[in-house]
Amino acid sequence: MPDPSSLSTGGNGSPTASKYTCPWCGAVSDGSSLSCPSCGATINVQAIVSRSGWSEVPGRKDMARLQFGKSSCQIEGKLVPVADMNLADGDSVYFAHHVLLWKEPRVEIKAMSLRGAWKRMLAGMPVIMTTAHGPGHVAFSRDAPGELLALPIQPGHSVDVREHLMLVATNQVAYDWFSTNVWFTTHSGDDSETHYPLGMFMDRFSANHTPGLILLHASGNVFVRQLKAGESILVKPTALIFKDSSVSMQLYFEMPNVSWQSWGVWGERYLWLQLQGPGRVALQSAFEPVEDDGGTISNASPAYQHRW
Amino acid sequence: MNDPSSQRGQQQMGGSAPIPTTQAAGPVERIQCQWCQSMNEKTALSCWACGAPLDIANLVSESGWREAPRIKDMTEIHFGSSTCQVEGEIVPVAEINLGAGDAVYFEHHVMLWKEASVPMSVMSLSGGIKRALAGMPFIISVAQGPGRIAFSRDASGELVILPLHPEMELDVREHAFLLASHQIDYSYVRIKGLRNILFGGQGMFMDRFVTRNQPGLVILHGYGNVFERRLQQGESIMVEPGAFLYKDSSVSMDVEPQRLTTGLFGGASMNLARMTGPGRVGIQSMYVHHETE
Repeated sequence: MPDPSSLSTGGNGSPTASKYTCPWCGAVSDGSSLSCPSCGATINVQAIVSRSGWSEVPGRKDMARLQFGKSSCQIEGKLVPVADMNLADGDSVYFAHHVLLWKEPRVEIKAMSLRGAWKRMLAGMPVIMTTAHGPGHVAFSRDAPGELLALPIQPGHSVDVREHLMLVATNQVAYDWFSTNVWFTTHSGDDSETHYPLGMFMDRFSANHTPGLILLHASGNVFVRQLKAGESILVKPTALIFKDSSVSMQLYFEMPNVSWQSWGVWGERYLWLQLQGPGRVALQSAFEPVEDDGGTISNASPAYQHRW
Repeated sequence: MNDPSSQRGQQQMGGSAPIPTTQAAGPVERIQCQWCQSMNEKTALSCWACGAPLDIANLVSESGWREAPRIKDMTEIHFGSSTCQVEGEIVPVAEINLGAGDAVYFEHHVMLWKEASVPMSVMSLSGGIKRALAGMPFIISVAQGPGRIAFSRDASGELVILPLHPEMELDVREHAFLLASHQIDYSYVRIKGLRNILFGGQGMFMDRFVTRNQPGLVILHGYGNVFERRLQQGESIMVEPGAFLYKDSSVSMDVEPQRLTTGLFGGASMNLARMTGPGRVGIQSMYVHHETE
């Protein structure tokens, strides 16, 4: 877990000292290479922070090399980056099968058995979670221009990731999932429909005794900020990438001041996800529109309403 | 301007955005932005009003298309008492810090995040509910300062920052505008015939932005790369309608079927839009057809 304050201050890294602390992931290295061996962030790069406090993911040089266990991973390309893993004997990674780009024949692929957790649906197709076992090379990528986010997880910490964003995780990372409890039901006439703006489930990744690494693929650019305890912000649910498990979330309906009569064709509301600190939150700048048919809301998970 | 003779620009477009004043003695040297014609201090690296780099030469193709300026990450631009920071380079975000009394309007699906304290309202539009986007009614939302709110769209591309000087009129492809400042009047027009090309319907809407006495700001999101050229009076160019992004209202746009004969089978036809000057035309290199009604 990185020092939270280092996200916005640029950290205390120094390439001249024998030890370099990465401001992004908190990993300590000797600073002799061009990029942090834990997350790939360029060594001693100035943190790019917007005036409102969002940090961009630190610059990552093409072909940056990450080390995990005895294995390594190279991040290749800038538009739709590829994670090219060189798995050592005995190391393994797991991933959703549709992100596999290529592999050497000797890399063994197996289905992952995890108490039925992998039966979740992706666009009507079952997500088959698969494992790849070293030794050998295997590479992963997704289907949209964006950024690869390397998220080292320290023992005792966990992050919650919006479903289908995980690209690949190392076998030291424990996987679990939970119901988001972010939903609302609309009805028009006799029809009612339940909407899950964040998806029904979220993935939770944690490390028990050994540090692990997960790679996420986000569409567009990635922005991260550290919320203080009690600090909150409204975000589009589909723009959320991950949050620390300590960050709480709930639905937030905002009713704008409408001076004209919309005759019920629009719900006259904006739908937000309210995130409340303490902890990190990350957004992607390209996101799908939030699904809301504008029908009358008959029931919802705990939600805040604000009318202007 | 204090010293017009120091202007480097070739084209003057009537008026300019306000500039920060300096206390320097003697004639103050200014740099005119080649993209938006605003005046800047000589030491500025990027334009105060549109963010275009001032230290990089224009990129113009041999045929005369100019690339929209690539806004450097985290560049800050100014309008009214507000600022806008452009963040990211794959799908850039426009983060607005609204000053008190300022407002911006937009289509609500482009909101990325906001501070809860920023008041929201909806613009009254005559006949607005006849337009819809992906089955949703067409609504223009308004955010009032003070406070922060950020916008982005759903695919890779670039932001086109268009400060509008007084008495300017700009026509924009529907759903392509990310936001506009409150000094600018908004309306829309239906282009007969154009929608036939894309969807076999009756026409296509175009958003129209008009400034009165005050300058304002329009930000568009173009898919892929954006190119602009300035047509002379009577000069024409044929454009694929899906690539059209914006034009000055002085540029006319007419649909012309192109008969493609093959000799044997009678051929097929396609349509192009003939744009005739005078004025600017902007196109995008990647186009996405929204299912609109």
